[in-house]
Amino acid sequence: MKKRSATVAIFAAAALVLSGCSAAQSGSGDHTITFMGWGSDQEIAVFNDMIAQYETKYPGVKVDYITVPAADFQTKLQTMIASNKTPDVFYLAPENVMPFASSGIVADLSDYVKSNTEFDVNNVWAKAIDMYRYDGTTPGKGAVYGLPKDIGPFALAYNKDLFDAAGITAPTDDAPWTWSQFEDAAKKLTTGSGDTKVYGSAPYSLESAVWSNGADWLNADHTKVTVTDPKFVEALQWVANLSLVDGVVPTSEEESSLPSFQRFLNGNVGMMGVGPWNQGGFWADAKFNWDLMPWPVSPATGEKAIWYGGIGFGVANKSADKQDASNLAAFLAFNEGAQRTNMEQGQAVPNLIDMTKNEYLKSDKAPANKQEFVNIIEDWGRRATQTYTYNSEWFTLFNSNLANVWTGQQTAQDYTKSVEKDMQDLLDKGIAEQSK
Amino acid sequence: MTTIRRRQVMQRRERLWGLLFVTPIGLQVLLFCIVPVGIAIVAGFTNWNVIKGTYDFIGLDNFVEFLTDKKFWIAAGNTVYMLIPIPFYLFFGILFALGSHRGTPGSRIFRILFFLPYISSIVALVVMWRWLFNYQYGLVNQMLAGIGIQGPDWLGDPAWIKTTIVIMIVWKMIGITSIYVLAALKNIPEVYYEAARLDGASAIRMFFQITLPMLSPAIFFLTIVGIIGSLQTFVEVQLFTSDGGRNYSAATITYYIWQKAFVSNDLGLAFAAAFFFALVILGVTLIQFRLSRRWVYEGE
Repeated sequence: MKKRSATVAIFAAAALVLSGCSAAQSGSGDHTITFMGWGSDQEIAVFNDMIAQYETKYPGVKVDYITVPAADFQTKLQTMIASNKTPDVFYLAPENVMPFASSGIVADLSDYVKSNTEFDVNNVWAKAIDMYRYDGTTPGKGAVYGLPKDIGPFALAYNKDLFDAAGITAPTDDAPWTWSQFEDAAKKLTTGSGDTKVYGSAPYSLESAVWSNGADWLNADHTKVTVTDPKFVEALQWVANLSLVDGVVPTSEEESSLPSFQRFLNGNVGMMGVGPWNQGGFWADAKFNWDLMPWPVSPATGEKAIWYGGIGFGVANKSADKQDASNLAAFLAFNEGAQRTNMEQGQAVPNLIDMTKNEYLKSDKAPANKQEFVNIIEDWGRRATQTYTYNSEWFTLFNSNLANVWTGQQTAQDYTKSVEKDMQDLLDKGIAEQSK
Repeated sequence: MTTIRRRQVMQRRERLWGLLFVTPIGLQVLLFCIVPVGIAIVAGFTNWNVIKGTYDFIGLDNFVEFLTDKKFWIAAGNTVYMLIPIPFYLFFGILFALGSHRGTPGSRIFRILFFLPYISSIVALVVMWRWLFNYQYGLVNQMLAGIGIQGPDWLGDPAWIKTTIVIMIVWKMIGITSIYVLAALKNIPEVYYEAARLDGASAIRMFFQITLPMLSPAIFFLTIVGIIGSLQTFVEVQLFTSDGGRNYSAATITYYIWQKAFVSNDLGLAFAAAFFFALVILGVTLIQFRLSRRWVYEGE
């Protein structure tokens, strides 16, 4: 009985949905476009507000805003694509640009970028837009398939109070620390024991270490796995040794007990990589002074290196209202009011260059050295290596057992040797799919 | 004559009504069970790409691929490991049911307490257990530290994660097991015991010659359901670990299938593995039924 009524309910619901769809399409003038994304409650509230503004600006267009938990987003999106119900506008990760563009799922927005009335492309960070470019062979070049929601430079933050207490002065951008200077400072900062132990640093960014040491996960044209390169191995081992040998970084077990982010907020970590999205949380909860400093450099190259990330808005190629959908994507990406709200809530560096220079950099909120974020965006930030490949499973594989190195069960050399072949197989598989 | 005809008409009408009542559930089974399973079996022989919407028939390639995949066999081993909790929760469940059967004071409260884990959301339970088994701040390790033992990294160490999951399954299943056993206990006619007592049988003898045989159908049922449930362990793996645990130490076959389908987008391979796994479960269950003739008491 119960099951039967459930079936009836399902059919009724299905009928309702079907009739709802057809009604929306045959309606005159008024139409609905769907937008799917994820976010914190705060972010969702900002989006709801922006969508209301958009609907006022473009009367006749209604936006159906679907929010999905971040962890379920990719699965849900793929199911919708497979059932031909791709949302008109949706969050597009840089690593999805290649497969989605070559399968005709996301629309080419190049013409829209040139001729729209929503924004001036010259006022947007070039790197932010380039994350969504793809010319059919190389990502980062050619046609635009998405507009940036934000660009996230990963900078090194430090607890100023701990630095002052240890008598350490943070380096400036033109004279960054070398690795050994960083280690010295971290050792000085590490004090105490047990639950209140202060660590010099959170787990160090492997990207920064590897790149600054002149290595990378893949070769220049992203066809060969290069993790057994001695320079790569050296960088990986150096990062692991910060915990294993120097003891200035929480161990892998301690990290899983209480993430460094929380330890930093409690004032028990000296230095930690952060993004602009962390600012709001720090303003609310950090009871100490903090600022940004450049990432230390390897003696091998002396070059600063770190990644920037981000997420964008894609428009469905099959959307019945591509113009409206593109306008929505652009509105969400570049609307001044919304950009300002995000900035004021400490969620992001504005996508708009003039707003960043005239408002963000001049605000008196922490960090004082906001220029560090901008330098990474404008100058030495890099796209993560896995966003250059058709699918990033090779990278997932690399990470999945990396804890063997962090816990010292395997040396960097043994580990990279043990995964290289499987990584290469997965990379080859992706390359084969791309050319199919 | 007329009565016979009337009866025929009535029978036909009843049959029609019957069909009408069965139709919704039949449709449900057809639409949500038979059709998807059919599609999945067929798709298991293709290289279906969801994003592109393309597929070619590739014969047994999918089966070859997962059967030669190291990860699949690690997952298979882990899945077998998940059978370990069954004897434990059967033992403790029976023990508890026997204890609370005679209306021991407080048994009602305990029955509720033991049953709570089973009816609670597994997600909430896992969140709680993540806290209990936290390496540095968890209750378990704090208590161990109290008696001078440094507890292991229950959730991160490949050598311990499966044990943690096993402990959790035992804890979760004791309640429901004891309820089933309790119901079976209540069904044993008192006269058997009376007769045994008249013959001067000891309590232990009564347990092994009356209680246990009379419980065997319930135990058989719990074993079958338990094995199927254990083989399908997924949520614990998904929530306790990321990516199946370090060195794939916690991943089960169900988890492997899920990863292939929704992380790697390899639907064809996932369907093939699921089909294969369903056959294995079917085989295991059939063997159990066959073996059950030797030990399950089904009355004269």
